Amino acid sequence: MRVIRGLLALGTAALAQALLSRYVPVAARFCDLFTIMVVYYGLTCPPSAAMAMGTGAGLVEDSLVGSILGMNGFKKTLIGYLVGTIGSLFMLNQAIPRFGILFAATVFDPLAEWGLSVAMGRSFAFPGTLPLLERGLGNGVLGLLFFWVASRLP
Amino acid sequence: MAHLLTERKPYLLLLILLTLNLGLMSSRIKSASERSLLEEGILGLGSPFLKAAGWIGQAVSGTWHAYVGLRGVERENRRLRERIDALALQAHEAEEARQELGRLRELLDLRAGVPFESVPARVMARGVDGSARVLTLDRGGREGVRINHPVITPRGVVGRIIEAATAASKVQTILDPNAGVAGLIQRTRIQGMIVGDGDRGCRMEYVSELANVEVGDVVVTSGLDQIYPKGYTLGVVAAIGEGEGLTKIVEIRPEVDFRRLEEVLVLLKPEGPPERSAP
Repeated sequence: MRVIRGLLALGTAALAQALLSRYVPVAARFCDLFTIMVVYYGLTCPPSAAMAMGTGAGLVEDSLVGSILGMNGFKKTLIGYLVGTIGSLFMLNQAIPRFGILFAATVFDPLAEWGLSVAMGRSFAFPGTLPLLERGLGNGVLGLLFFWVASRLP
Repeated sequence: MAHLLTERKPYLLLLILLTLNLGLMSSRIKSASERSLLEEGILGLGSPFLKAAGWIGQAVSGTWHAYVGLRGVERENRRLRERIDALALQAHEAEEARQELGRLRELLDLRAGVPFESVPARVMARGVDGSARVLTLDRGGREGVRINHPVITPRGVVGRIIEAATAASKVQTILDPNAGVAGLIQRTRIQGMIVGDGDRGCRMEYVSELANVEVGDVVVTSGLDQIYPKGYTLGVVAAIGEGEGLTKIVEIRPEVDFRRLEEVLVLLKPEGPPERSAP
């Protein structure tokens, strides 16, 4: 059941992200629903589930955005692992710590890509500090909303 | 998938997943043109979402446009209905004006044909009981209208003026039982007194039983009453009945439709009526 819910959540996130990118590209710049999904699983499930969700979400994101296959999978797996580990060590069920984790995961995403690109000898265009902060802020707010909604689901 | 993996080995799982992703990345970078079945499968993961997003977007957009279009249609419909109402009113007014123009033209033609000064007038009111025995005109003494001036229309005689105020006057029509007009049968020149018979029309009295009168004969004024000029149409014979003694009563249907009368011509007739050429 949990796997099915995870797949459903992943599908919904993919659909929502595709819709946003296509029809509201401005809003899509400020949020990464896949990262939110991975952080949610990291904070509410065991690390293995968060990593599995990270890989799944990353690969779906790769197929959606047309980036190098495995790039987002790698990043999201790492995020899932880190958030899952942190979530298992600390109590992160309050809004502010969750916001912090969401913000940090969003900032970590391009940093990890930058590291991978350097390691593979590929060029990488860093999105810039302000857009990154905006994206972190957007993901933080939207993520908290997602946590609030998810806590009320049966 | 989470159930299949043990929670006690996160590092191992991390290693496997990162290796998988790295493998995918390296294979993709190494051979940019060829794709493995796994890569094809993963890349195919996104297409249903993209298709669904496109479909949803089109559906929402279509619905929205249909809604907006429908609202536009409703607004347009309301605007057009108002326009239709306004145009219908204009058309009605134009039709009224056209009919009035036609009547006034006939009146003008009649006016040109009569050998007297005349004043066109509008019928302002009828009798209180709704009958057409008495009519009120919007012309009076100021325009030269006097008592006993005859009132006619292109169709025939209406009556005579019985009251003339400054700006209005009253007409006793030939339908009034107290009205009398000297008339004659146009075909046989048989004369008689024509009196009103209320809404039924008029009747010619004192017609000899031997007189040659037929239904459909035209009755015109004879001019002998010194009020109506000679030769104006009064009506047609509708029926012939027996009268007192050796006379018969001729029922006449007036040519003028008194219930729909709107414009008339008042003849400012001087004393002593000249004869009008017979129609």
